[in-house]
Amino acid sequence: MAESLETLREEVLDRIARCATEPEIEDLRVEYLGRKGRLTLLLRGLKDLPPEERPQAGERLNQLRRLAEEKLAARLAQVKAREKERILREETVDITLPGSRWERGRMHPLTLVMDEIIDVFLGMGFEVARGPDIEDDYHNFEALNMPKDHPARDMQDTFFVSQDRLLRTHTSPVQIRVMESRRPPLQIIAPGAVYRHDDDATHSPMFHQVEGFMVDGHISFADLKGVLTHFIRRIFRPETKLRFRPSFFPFTEPSAEIDMQCVLCGGEGGKREGSACRVCKGSGWLEILGAGMIDPQVFKFVGYDPERVSGFAFGMGVERIAMLKFGIEDIRLFFQNDLRFLRQFV
Amino acid sequence: MKFTFNWLKEFVGLRASPQKIAEALTMAGLEVESLVPLDPGYATRHPGERDWLMEVNVTPNRGDCLGILGIAREVTVLTGGRLKPPRVDPHTGDASARRAVDVRIASPRLCPRYSARVVHGIRVARSPSWMQSRLEACGVRPVNNVVDVTNWVMLETGQPLHAFDLERLSSKRIVVQRAGAIKKFVTLDGIERELEPEDLLICDGEVPIALAGIMGGRDSEVRPETGSLLLESANFDPLTIRRTAKRLALHSEASHRFERGVDPEGTLYALDRAVWLLKEIASGSPLGGVADRYARRRKSAALWLRHQRVKALLGIELASGEVEKITRALGLKIRRRSKTGLQVIPPSYRPDLAREADVIEELARVHGYDKMPATLPLVRAAGGMADGHLRRERAMRSFLAGEGLTEMIHLPFTSREMNRRFPGLWRGPRPAVEVLNPLTQENAEMRLSLIPGLVESLRAQVSQKSKGFYGFDLGKVFSLGFTGAPEERQCLAGAIFGYRERRGLRVKEQSPAAFLDIKGLVEGILELVGVAPQVIWTGESLPPILHPGKGASLEIAGSRVGCLGELHPDLCEELRLPSFFIFEVDFEKLLQYAPREFKVRSLRRFPSVERDLAVVLDDGFPAQRLVNWIKEQFNHSLIEEVQVFDEYKGAPVPQGKKSLAYTISYRAEDRTLTDTEVNALHGELVSRIGQVFGAQLRE
Ligand SMILES: [Zn+2]
Repeated sequence: MAESLETLREEVLDRIARCATEPEIEDLRVEYLGRKGRLTLLLRGLKDLPPEERPQAGERLNQLRRLAEEKLAARLAQVKAREKERILREETVDITLPGSRWERGRMHPLTLVMDEIIDVFLGMGFEVARGPDIEDDYHNFEALNMPKDHPARDMQDTFFVSQDRLLRTHTSPVQIRVMESRRPPLQIIAPGAVYRHDDDATHSPMFHQVEGFMVDGHISFADLKGVLTHFIRRIFRPETKLRFRPSFFPFTEPSAEIDMQCVLCGGEGGKREGSACRVCKGSGWLEILGAGMIDPQVFKFVGYDPERVSGFAFGMGVERIAMLKFGIEDIRLFFQNDLRFLRQFV
Repeated sequence: MKFTFNWLKEFVGLRASPQKIAEALTMAGLEVESLVPLDPGYATRHPGERDWLMEVNVTPNRGDCLGILGIAREVTVLTGGRLKPPRVDPHTGDASARRAVDVRIASPRLCPRYSARVVHGIRVARSPSWMQSRLEACGVRPVNNVVDVTNWVMLETGQPLHAFDLERLSSKRIVVQRAGAIKKFVTLDGIERELEPEDLLICDGEVPIALAGIMGGRDSEVRPETGSLLLESANFDPLTIRRTAKRLALHSEASHRFERGVDPEGTLYALDRAVWLLKEIASGSPLGGVADRYARRRKSAALWLRHQRVKALLGIELASGEVEKITRALGLKIRRRSKTGLQVIPPSYRPDLAREADVIEELARVHGYDKMPATLPLVRAAGGMADGHLRRERAMRSFLAGEGLTEMIHLPFTSREMNRRFPGLWRGPRPAVEVLNPLTQENAEMRLSLIPGLVESLRAQVSQKSKGFYGFDLGKVFSLGFTGAPEERQCLAGAIFGYRERRGLRVKEQSPAAFLDIKGLVEGILELVGVAPQVIWTGESLPPILHPGKGASLEIAGSRVGCLGELHPDLCEELRLPSFFIFEVDFEKLLQYAPREFKVRSLRRFPSVERDLAVVLDDGFPAQRLVNWIKEQFNHSLIEEVQVFDEYKGAPVPQGKKSLAYTISYRAEDRTLTDTEVNALHGELVSRIGQVFGAQLRE
C-alpha cells in the first residue's frame, strides 16, 4: 500500500506538471479527484482495510489529495497567466503607425512674436493701449515735434487718405493720445500696424510696431537702458550683448538706437569665415530698437510740465524681430499667407 | 555723406585707424554705414596712397556734418585732435567786388546772407585727376574745373556754392527775391520749371539766373569759353528751399544741405577756399574784395545747463569738469558759472542746440551712452494686466487654430472692384477710404471687409492644387462715415473650403466643408465671447455675397454683427473659384455685448432621462421651430433640454418631406423620474406635436 501510494504520488505530480491547458487540468482533476476519481475511490476503499491500518492510510491518502488539489490549483493559475500573456501578445498594435488627429491651424508668426513682446512688458508692469490706424497729421507728426516741412518727415514715406489724414507711419501717436487723456505715472505699450510707402524684400507697405513709454517724476536715461536691456535679453538670449548709440528722432532728446549682437555670427561679423555675415553685413551688430527721453516739446503739446515729469519712449519693428528670431529673409512672406510658410510655426 | 578717410585727415590731425574712427563716429551718433577700401583704379591715380571711402548717415538735425569740416570737428571732440582747416585765399576789405556786382536781398527772411566774389582770367578745362577721382569716389560727377571746385568746397565745408558766368549777367545787379510774377525758369539741366510766387530766385536785375539753393539756370551756366566768374556763397531759409525742391521733385546736393540748415557764418570761408582752388587749377585771378550782404544775423541764445537737470534726465552725475570739457570741445561758449549750472552759448553751426535738453543730449553723446548705467525704474503705475480685449483676442485665435483654421494677416489695401463685391458689415452702403498715393491701382482703397484678403489667399492655395483651405484673419476694416471721417473696426473673418487636413491613416468617409461646419465655427466664437444667447440668427435679408439658401445673418439688439454661409455661386463664378464658405463678425461689437462676469449653476442631483423623437415634416420646416415650440409653448417644467440630432431626406420619407430627429431630456429637481412618468409626458408631447404640426411620427 505504502509503496503503491508513493508511485501514485509521483505519477500525479508528474502529470500535473505536464498539463498545458485549462481543459487538460480539468480532466486531470476529474480523473483523480472527481466523484469517480482514482484518489476518491481509494479514499472510499479505506473502509475495506483492517481497522488498525485505516488511520495511517487515511492520513497519507488525505495528504496526497490535498497535495494534488494544491498543485492543480497552482498549475491552473500558471496556465491561465500564460494564456493571458499570449492573448495580450497577440493583441499588440504596431506603434510605428501614424497617430490620427485633425491638423491644427496655426497662429501667425507675427502674432506669436507680438504676444511674446507684450508678455515681457506686461510682466514689467506695462499696460496695453491702442490707437487708430488712420491718424491725423497732428498726432502722427505735429505733436511729435515734426512740423510740416520738417526733413525728418522724409524718413517716413507716408500714405495719405485725405489732406489731413494718413495711415500712421509709426505707433508713436498712441503715446500722444494716451498722454492727452491721462496723467502720469504711465507705463504703456501700444502694439499695432503701421504703414510706409515702400515695397521690397526688406520693406512692406504695412508692418507692425510696438511703441512703449514710461512717464513719471524721475525717469532717466539709465532707466531706459535698464528696461530695454531686460526686454531684449528676454526676447533673445540672456547673454545677448547690446550697444546704445546716439541717434535722432524729433520726439526724443537724447535719442538712441539700440543694436544687439548679431544672431547669426554672434558679433564676429563673419570675419573668421572670410566673408561678411549676411545678416549683419559684417558689422556684428543688428539695429533692433529706437528710443530716447521724451522731448520736452512733446510734453508741452500734451500739456505736461517738462520740469516736473520725464520719461522715455521706444519703438520696435515686430517683423524685424521675427525675421531675426526665425531666420526669415523676405518680409513679404508674412503677408503672402502661404500655408507652406505659416505651417512651420508650431 | 560720403568722403574719403585721407580727405578727412587733411582737416584734422589723426593717427587712429579708419576702423577706429568709424567706430568712434558711430558710437557718437554719426553712424558710419560703410567703410570700404577704395578700388585699385583709384590707387593708381594716387600712387602710394591707401584710402578708404566712408559713408556716414547724417541725421536730419546734424546739417553741420554734411561737410568734411563738420565731421572733422566731431572727430576733434571725440579724439582730442586739432582742427587744421585747409588753405584759403583770404578776401580783403576793399570794394573791388562790390563795384563789380551789386547785391540786394529783397526777402531777408528767406535769404539771411548772400556773399560773392569775382574771379577773372579763368581757363575752363578738365580738373586734375586727383580732384576728379576723389569727387567720383564720393559720388559726384566731374564736369569741369570750375564746377568741380564748387562741388569740392561744398563737400569740404557743407556750404553749397554756385558759379555764374559773369559776362553773361547783363545788369550785374544780383537781387534775391520771391518769384512773384515770374512763372517759368529753365534750370541748367535744360528743363523748364513752373514757378510758384513763393519760390525764391536769384535774379540778375529782372532776369532769373538761379532757383535759389536748388539749381542754377541754363543761361548763366559756366561754359568752355567762360573767363570771369561770380561765385555765390549764400544762406537760404530751409523751409522755402524744401517746399520748392519737393514740389519740383528737384532734390540736389545743395537743396539737401540748405533744407537741413547751413551755417550763415561759414559763407566767406567757403568762398575763400574756392577762390584759392580756382587760382591753383583754373588760373583764376580774383578780385580781393567780397560782396557780402548779411541781412539777418541769427543770434545764438544763451541757455542754462543745470546740474540737477543733467542728473535727472541721464540718471548719472557728470563731474562738472567733464561737463565743461565737453561743452567747450563742442564749441559752446561758457558765459557764466553758478552753483546750480552753466550758462552756455552754442556755436552758429549748431542751430540744433537751442534748448537745455539738446545740450544734455550732447553731454550724453560725447560721454558715451555705453558708459551710462542701466537701472530698472521703480514701478508706480497700476498696469501689468492683459485687458479683456487682449485676452479675448488670444482666446479667439487659439480656438480657431484648434479648429484647424490658420491665422493670416493681409495687407489692408484692396481694389475698388473687390470693395464693390465685398462691402462688409457696415450699416448701409459705405464709401471706402481711398489712398491718395497708392502703390498700385489694385491697392487703391482700404478694405471694407476682411473677405477679399482671404479670397486671395484661398485662390493661391487652390492654384497649388490643395484639397482644402481653412484660414482666418482678425484685423481692421475701414470706411468713410457719414461725416466723411474715416472709421475703423476690428473684425474677425474666416474662409473654409474642401477637406480639413487629417493626420494618420486615411479616413474612409470624410466630407468637405459644408454650411454646418461654418455655422459650428461661428457658434463657437459666440460662445467664447459669451454672447451666444443674445444673438438672433436669421436667413432673411442676407448680404448679396451669400448663397440665398445657405447663409445666415447675425443680429444683436437689432443691429447686424455678422454673417456666414456659402459664397454666392455667381460670385464664385466671377472670381473663378470653387464654392466655399465664409464668416465675418464685427469683433469689436461682439465684445461690447460680452458679459463681464458669470455665475455657475449648482450641479443637478438627480439623473435625467432621454427620449428620442423623429417626425416627418415639410422640407422647408426649420428644425429650430419645433425646439422653440417645445420650450415656449409646450413649456413643461420637467423638460430640461431639446436638441436636434438628425435630419434625413430620401426613401422611405416621401418627396418634399424630411425627417427630423430630436432628443428630449427630462429631469426633476427633487427626485429621480420613473419610466412611467417620463413615458406619459413624452407620449403627450408626441401627440401634441402631431396635432399642432400635422407631423407624422417615425419609428
Ligand atoms: Zn552677423
